[in-house]
Amino acid sequence: MSVGPGHFMLARVDDVARWAQSSSVWPLTMGLACCAIEMMTVTSAEYDIARLGSEVFRSSPRQADLMIVSGRVAQKMGPVVKRLYDQMADPKWVISMGACASSGGMFDNYAVIQGVDTIIPVDVYVPGCPPTPDGLLYAVNLIQQQIREGGRGGIVAKA
Amino acid sequence: MPSTQNPPVAGAAVDPPSVRPQIDDATIERVAPADLRARLEALKSDGYSMLVDLGAVDYLQREPRFDVVYHLLKLAPKPASVAEVGRPARMRVLCGVDEGQRLPSVMDLWKSADWAEREVFDLFGIVFEGHIDLRRIQMPHDWEGYPLRKDYPMRGPERERSPRPAFAGKSNVVAGTPPSGRTFEALQEEVKRARES
Amino acid sequence: MSVYTKPLSDDVVSRTDNTMVLSMGPQHPSTHGVLQIVLEIDGESVVKADPEIGYLHTGIEKTAEGLFWTQAQTAIERMDYLAPESNSLCYALGVEKLLGITDRIPERAQVVRVLVAELTRIASHCVWLGTHGIDLGAISVFFYCFDLRENILDLQEATGGARMHPNYVRIGGLNGDLPDGAIARLDALIAKFPGRMRELRGLLQANPIFQDRTIDVGYLSPDDAIQYGVTGPSLRGSGIAYDVRKAYPYCGYETYDFDVPTRTEGDAYARFLVRLDEMEQSMRIVEQARRRLETPGPVMIDDTKVALPPKETIALSMEALIHHFKLISEGFRVPPGDVYQPVEGPRGELGYYIVSSGENRPYRVRTRPASLYNLQALKCIAPGNLIADLVVMIGSLDPVFGEVDR
Repeated sequence: MSVGPGHFMLARVDDVARWAQSSSVWPLTMGLACCAIEMMTVTSAEYDIARLGSEVFRSSPRQADLMIVSGRVAQKMGPVVKRLYDQMADPKWVISMGACASSGGMFDNYAVIQGVDTIIPVDVYVPGCPPTPDGLLYAVNLIQQQIREGGRGGIVAKA
Repeated sequence: MPSTQNPPVAGAAVDPPSVRPQIDDATIERVAPADLRARLEALKSDGYSMLVDLGAVDYLQREPRFDVVYHLLKLAPKPASVAEVGRPARMRVLCGVDEGQRLPSVMDLWKSADWAEREVFDLFGIVFEGHIDLRRIQMPHDWEGYPLRKDYPMRGPERERSPRPAFAGKSNVVAGTPPSGRTFEALQEEVKRARES
Repeated sequence: MSVYTKPLSDDVVSRTDNTMVLSMGPQHPSTHGVLQIVLEIDGESVVKADPEIGYLHTGIEKTAEGLFWTQAQTAIERMDYLAPESNSLCYALGVEKLLGITDRIPERAQVVRVLVAELTRIASHCVWLGTHGIDLGAISVFFYCFDLRENILDLQEATGGARMHPNYVRIGGLNGDLPDGAIARLDALIAKFPGRMRELRGLLQANPIFQDRTIDVGYLSPDDAIQYGVTGPSLRGSGIAYDVRKAYPYCGYETYDFDVPTRTEGDAYARFLVRLDEMEQSMRIVEQARRRLETPGPVMIDDTKVALPPKETIALSMEALIHHFKLISEGFRVPPGDVYQPVEGPRGELGYYIVSSGENRPYRVRTRPASLYNLQALKCIAPGNLIADLVVMIGSLDPVFGEVDR
């Protein structure tokens, strides 16, 4: 079929919007601890998250759609994470990267919040200590899948 | 396996430096709180220009309860090559402190004591007199309790066990019940019935 | 001091206390982690900078008190997460001193420990350089640095099983010998390194924009550095060549031939040059260690009270099975006493003051965090500079918040 002048293409607005959203998920730089280094590695040339659409990591929550909580959330940092999540504009998604962000990890003590999902809703959990950059890329893929399907909910990513 | 939540308490560590001969290359000295300030000033004028570290240890079942440990290094504060630096002398000063007892701050002698003393106050509750700004540094400012003390629970004051995972409510299995429905009680019933029949 | 010490002259500013308090962080792209700096600024120049830490406090020291000696090493390794092997090496050396087995660590284990410690130093400096470049807008540097880091992480994954936190250095030696192919990868890395180093230097060292931003910025005098307990490249950038590897050698460092780069200018550019030179010196040590790897040998101490016996012997020997059982379920006991063990981490003197009460768990592991004392110096070097210079200064001090907050 050749597309010449005068042809139309029909699609649902929802599909087009979701396709656009899922192809340009811009994460927030919520790098806390060791997982943050693997998150930085995912932006480097070997793993390259930019090819999935996450071209830039925005520092301002107002300009980001995805919050990747990477690292252990300390008691002092909890309110800060919550505030940043509130400041993000809808629609927003959250990846809880690593064991510490998902459940407190190996630090079952007074200082670490036992899972960032006790303060903000999480869409994808990535296990690992730290997860390999491939795991994080798969998590972003799952987020894109969620966006395209139009839903949200917790899915444990198989790293 | 012993629980990770119950660390060892006191035991034989009454006064570790006196328990065995020296195994590292620092000169170890024990000083009473009343003589601490004078001794540290003397050491500083002797050339121990760097306070490498200031930490504390809680010996729960011992009088005095805490040991505040000062690690000092004799390094001249002027440019020097590797040969001139050589092998600087190290010093370890231990000071036994009771609960509620205060220690003089050494912030004016070594500026590195600023945050180190704040951390000891935050995690152990030892107050340093003369510190300009003694407030919590690691824990939130309104935290109650001194976490690194041996009688402070590992998980913190409110939490007894790890919380349920948040996605437990979303799955089709009620958290805590095995998918087959065969809990321990059900199994015991089965065994009882098998024995009676 | 920067040229722009007083951008607003007194006749323009009517009151001298016209300052504003601004919170920089804890979520900020250029603070290298979770750091909050409460800035008092007069226009664009900083009057007072008060760093606020604790946003990553994990209670690692308390966690380590509840774990066995070998288990505690996994928690401790996550303090300085850019150079995890330096943490586990320091802890292992300290516990070995307490156990009294320092002389019986096999030669090959010492060589591989040195190799791994230097590689982790290069990897940490790669992250430092990449993030320092990104903070200043030089984004390409990041990609070159992380590419070099990938080779080192590949080696870490091959030896220890994980890219970061491999838990390869153990009390008594190493987890296991280098696997097949690791030596070939190491040789490839050694061959690639000089070219990559030339590229990294070419990107930034003579770059006039970089020089403008870092020369004469963040001057740290030797006096202030000693007062604040600054060690490592930040101290060596101010002229004092104190390096724990030369002053208190461990793991056989006295038998390796390397220099300790030192500069006297004391500004951010000097610290930058010191770290670049250090990467080259580390590679020199790696090459020497590589040559010593030709001779095979054991990598773990031969004492089954401390080290697990080889897995193959469990089916053959009752003692091996019992030792395995005891060591895994109960751990070994360390005689009571205390020790302070320093090593030269990428940030400076990392030390552990370990107290043992004779049990199978540490009584207290107090960390001497190099980054905490380096970061305190920010209070001294920040006033009088611009906010933009603050970013350069934090980068040049190279703090890691896992270590600062623990």
